[in-house]
Amino acid sequence: MAKEEKRKPFGMAHVLYTLLIISVALPLLYPVGLPIGISSTTKDVYNYIENTLPAGSAVLVDLYYEMAARAELEPQAAAVVKHLFEKNCKLVFVSTVTYGPIVFELLKSTASDVFAGKEYGRDYVFLGYVAGNEPAVRSLAESIRGTVAADNYGNSITDYNKLPMMRNIDKAEDFKLVFIVSSGTDTFGWYVRQWYTAHNIPLLFGALSVIGPSIKPYVDAKQAIGMLTGQRSAAEYEVLVGRKGLGLAAMDAQSFAHALILIFIIIGNVVFFATRAKPKPKEVGKK
Amino acid sequence: MSVVVRRTIPQIIVALVIVLMVVFYFFYINADVSKGFTTADKALSDWAIVITAIAAIVGGIDILRYHVNQIRKREKRQIVFSCVVIVMEIVMVLLACYALYSGIAITTQPNFQWLYTYLYAPADAAMYSILVFYIASASYRTFRARNPPAVLLLIVAIIVMLGNTSLGAMIWEGFLPLRDWIYNVPNTAAFRPITMGIGFGLIILGLRLIIGKETTWMGRRE
Amino acid sequence: MIELIGGWLAAVMIVWIYSFVYKDNVLYRLAEHLFVGTAAGYSIALSLDSLNRTAFGQMAKGMEYWHLIIPIILGLTFFFKYSKKYYWIARYGVGINVAVGAALALRAAPMANIIRQINATILPLWVEGDPLKTFNNWLMILITLGGLTYFIFTFFPKTEGKAGPVNIVYKALVTIGIYGMMVGFGYLFANTIMTRVGFLIGIILQYLQPRFDATVVAMILAIIAIAFAVMKKK
Repeated sequence: MAKEEKRKPFGMAHVLYTLLIISVALPLLYPVGLPIGISSTTKDVYNYIENTLPAGSAVLVDLYYEMAARAELEPQAAAVVKHLFEKNCKLVFVSTVTYGPIVFELLKSTASDVFAGKEYGRDYVFLGYVAGNEPAVRSLAESIRGTVAADNYGNSITDYNKLPMMRNIDKAEDFKLVFIVSSGTDTFGWYVRQWYTAHNIPLLFGALSVIGPSIKPYVDAKQAIGMLTGQRSAAEYEVLVGRKGLGLAAMDAQSFAHALILIFIIIGNVVFFATRAKPKPKEVGKK
Repeated sequence: MSVVVRRTIPQIIVALVIVLMVVFYFFYINADVSKGFTTADKALSDWAIVITAIAAIVGGIDILRYHVNQIRKREKRQIVFSCVVIVMEIVMVLLACYALYSGIAITTQPNFQWLYTYLYAPADAAMYSILVFYIASASYRTFRARNPPAVLLLIVAIIVMLGNTSLGAMIWEGFLPLRDWIYNVPNTAAFRPITMGIGFGLIILGLRLIIGKETTWMGRRE
Repeated sequence: MIELIGGWLAAVMIVWIYSFVYKDNVLYRLAEHLFVGTAAGYSIALSLDSLNRTAFGQMAKGMEYWHLIIPIILGLTFFFKYSKKYYWIARYGVGINVAVGAALALRAAPMANIIRQINATILPLWVEGDPLKTFNNWLMILITLGGLTYFIFTFFPKTEGKAGPVNIVYKALVTIGIYGMMVGFGYLFANTIMTRVGFLIGIILQYLQPRFDATVVAMILAIIAIAFAVMKKK
């Protein structure tokens, strides 16, 4: 069947591709505004930041995601950062992947309302890209000043006139929470090993939908305080913090695309059982 | 050079570094020694950071070499595209060097910023997101109830798909709590052995490096 | 103006890359190679940036950071991999990197990946007045044990004649493990669709919708390129 379709200039697969694009694009152009419920896992994260995290705490935010993952992770990051800023938390952004500087700038421009009124150096700092993966995560836990000489914009970390918040923030123990927004699986393991196991610092995971299930055991074993999973959690968090962002905007399109894929799964199974029920030509001959 | 210098000494260094770092982490003699251990341990981590950065530069140069070779081979269909790769790569590196020369941060150099915002970022997003078409096509072609485990997989996937979207709530309110229950209980239990397996794997890899059984990192065979 | 051109470029790149799902064509290949070149250059640039701030910047602070000259030299040994005679020198740099990564994982993995996971699985088998919790605990323990049995005991000695109790327990656990994993993979599959559709939504909202005119022009060009590719093949 696959070979047959390859020969066709516009086969069944191409019909599916076209329908998929339409099913995603139409609800984005004409939003329906389907209601969404709040899951218990998202509520737990919100309650932790709201009730347990002390106001004014230092929080490390690792932005470890590539461009495509922005759609799922940027709304999460924006909603949580808004919540943290509302609690007057001091945020130290860092990235252990080369995309970091791009995604940080894009986050700032798309969530300009979140960063409005917050001053660079006093309320938040961006350390930029730090190479090295797990060793980088381990070094940052020991000492930020001992790992990077300057932030992403070339300001010295020890220049407290420009970065006053860094005066009291240097090592893992100075942070009350680490928010890891990552499109990879390994990143979460690095922080569990180098920040939670070695320094007992609470972690919050912001994962892609596809990554969430595989890192859930860490959350269940209380190695992280909670996890936000994909666009759905982002939409729920947006509802909780009262900020309409890409998460909520995407939910209608997600519903329509899922409906289309479900229909195709059903058609695929009906075709499968129908063709299986038919006796094969050889068997007909035998009879 | 002898095999000792080519193979044995690097292997001994690897084993020594691993053993030392394990000692630094677990052993406590007194406060002064502990401070020394921590300093040495952090220094080794910093070394890895620096080496990784240089390794990435070498990786970029590898791509350049590959495309230069393509041009040398005069591959008719590839030659123009290889030129495109080389030009773009050199432009990006030159802009970065210019930023360093001007004393500003590389990522804030306006032309560099323009290229990564409008060319690199959207192309990268498109490259990764193109998979959606193949996933949709795979769900139609291969997602079938062939046997009892596949039936279970199919049922769970459908429940979760309905729970993940507003669609499920319109049919039955219970899809979201049911999805949450699957996530918190059977899903966690299913991935726990895999998480433990990763742990065992990491330990075994470390031990194999210490005893010199793991040699794949050395590259080409002699 | 510069932003307008940028918006056009972004939309054009996306449409040309997406044209690959219909057929490989010259515009896709152009977009692909533009991406590869930019990505390689970006990677080198960002590595230089990281090196500047984590090595040279630190060394400028004082003698206590001058030990960083060692990894710089070790890193430079990577270039020997191009030599047929001295390729082995690169092993000294690679070795340190591999060793540090392995050591960091080795020393924390027993606690993070094994002990804490075992702890989290040791659950009460009877919870007074909460049958759902009791059921959940049983499920958690059995699926975890089943999965571990499946992964660790990849073979089991065959028994002659009637299967013994050990054999029955083994088979039961493996079956539970397989079905448990199917539930996990079912969840994973559903979430994969969520992620991938999410990526597509992001592309449309962030790049194509704001520059609809560019999208249409790029689509027309892509259709021409695909038609040209089909005709050439015929």
